[in-house]
Formats: sequence, C-alpha cells, structure tokens
Amino acid sequence: MHKYLKQFVHKSPWLYRINAGSCNGCDVELATTALIPRYDVERLGCKYCGSPRHADIVLISGPLTTRVKERVLRVYEEIPHPKVTVAVGICPISGGVFRDSYSIEGPMDRYIPIDVNVPGCPPRPQAIMEGILKACEIWKKQIMEVA
Amino acid sequence: MLPFLKILVRNIIKGPATEAFPFGDTFTPKRLRGRAELNPERCLACGICSHVCAGGAIAMTESADGRGMEFRLWHNTCTFCGLCEHYCPANAITMTNDWHLSHEQSEKYTCCEVQFVEYPVCKRCGKRMLPHLHQRLAKGLVGAVNTAEIMQICPDCRRLTSAMQQIKSKTCFSTDRSNS
Repeated sequence: MHKYLKQFVHKSPWLYRINAGSCNGCDVELATTALIPRYDVERLGCKYCGSPRHADIVLISGPLTTRVKERVLRVYEEIPHPKVTVAVGICPISGGVFRDSYSIEGPMDRYIPIDVNVPGCPPRPQAIMEGILKACEIWKKQIMEVA
Repeated sequence: MLPFLKILVRNIIKGPATEAFPFGDTFTPKRLRGRAELNPERCLACGICSHVCAGGAIAMTESADGRGMEFRLWHNTCTFCGLCEHYCPANAITMTNDWHLSHEQSEKYTCCEVQFVEYPVCKRCGKRMLPHLHQRLAKGLVGAVNTAEIMQICPDCRRLTSAMQQIKSKTCFSTDRSNS
C-alpha cells in the first residue's frame, strides 16, 4: 500500500497559504494564480487546501510582523513533514520596504526554513507559478527520501 | 432564446483561455518592470539610485584600492518601482522585462546584479577620477576649450590647465595695454 501510494503522491502537492502580515498584494497575486483559469495552477497537480494539516507546499507572504509571529509559527508547526516552504514576495525574503521596522520580526528564514524564494513586489502570477514548479520538484525529492 | 448557445459557440471559437506558461511561452509586456540592470560604461557613480531606492536594494561601495565603485543590487529587496531608472542622470540603470527571478534558498544572497564601475584614469597625471558624461559633453559643450581632451583629465589637472590659459591671456592683455 505504501509503495502503491508512493507512485501517485508526488503528483499532487497541496498548497497552503499563510499571510504573515502581508499588505495583501502578494495574496491577490496568489489568488489570481489559483483561482482564475488563465494561470491555472491545478494543471501542476496543485490544489489549495484550507487546513494546514493537509498541506504539502506552504506559500508564505508578508514580512512576519510581531503580532502574527507566534500564530504563523504555530500554524507552520501543524503542517506535516515533509513540507516545502515558498516565500512569495520580497517581504518574507528580506523584509522588503518594511525592513528594520519596529514591528517586523525580520526575514522569515530566521524562524522558518525557506526552500524557494520568489522575489517581486508583488511577483507576477507567472513568476509565482515558476516558484511553485521549483517547490514541486523539491517536494518530489523529499517525498522520495521519506517514503 | 437560449442565450448560452451564443456563449458556447463563442467559447468554442476562442479556444482555452489558460496560458501555456509552465509548459510553453507566456506573454511579457515590453515595458514590464522586472530585473534591474546596470550598464557600467554609462554609470557616473553618483549614487542617486541608492539614495532614491525604496527598498534599499542598491549598495555602492568604493573598492579598497580606489580603482572604482562596486554596484550591488540585491533583487530580493527590489520592489521594481523603477525610481532608480527614473532618476539616473546617465540612463545607466534600466528595468528589463525579465521576471524569471525565483530561486532556491541557497542562492538567496547571490541573486544580485553586481557590476564594477571603473574610474577613468587622468591622461596627464594618471590619477583616478570620477566617471563623467564624456560622450554627452563632447557633443554639447562648445567654445575655446577642447572638451574631448579636457574631459580625459582629472579636476586638479583641469584647474591647472584653465589657470595656465588665464595666465597666458592676461600677459597678452597687459602687453596690449603697455603698447597703447
């Protein structure tokens, strides 16, 4: 059963989206990538899910503000291993225009291991697709190692 | 009657709306602001780009041996606002429409535009000086001064040249006066 599952499981990673204090720009782009038929992310086998417990690939946007930090870390811990993290936009990567602000807990990779970075403010939907594609490849490797 | 038939026929003729992107090409507008690029030959090393940069992405550091200026633009904090391009006096920075910037974490700090702006050498004394609008000045400035030549020497040498010219002209003037 385990081997049987292994053949299929890498074909459809489920996406989960965390907003860590984003300005909503990247979230709009993420919704665009997911929801409109023009940049159909489901062609890659990906599907958005509502619960962190079902997720395989995490898309994080926002610079990790002080208020959401604990919550983001708690939600992140709920995602089962193996998981791939994609930082969408420049905010989670470096802090972006909010860098060195009093309410910013700094770049995301201080607290969460990031696998793929998609810079942009916000990135194009196609750029996000490219990042998700890279994340899928990493996830495929991880699932092969674990399973 | 049956308005959906019209839509159905239209959609069949139009074909799928989905872009082929991850498996094929996509449309990129020509004026899309993507990765910024610097032409080191046009750069004046004035630093206005790092001054106006909204994300603080541009760092300009003079090299230790004084040979030139290192221009470093970290794409991971660039907002693609295009202010650097707008304010660049020499049109050295341009926003290309390249948006293929996604990278793995290992490349986070190497995802940079690094260019070295070499300071030109003074033709007379051999000192390094700041780059200048050589081509533009050679075209625009006219008069007694040979701009093409004077722009190749450093400010100190330039001052000396103009002082020498003044001395020469003064002696001419005084001799003229004594004669009269």
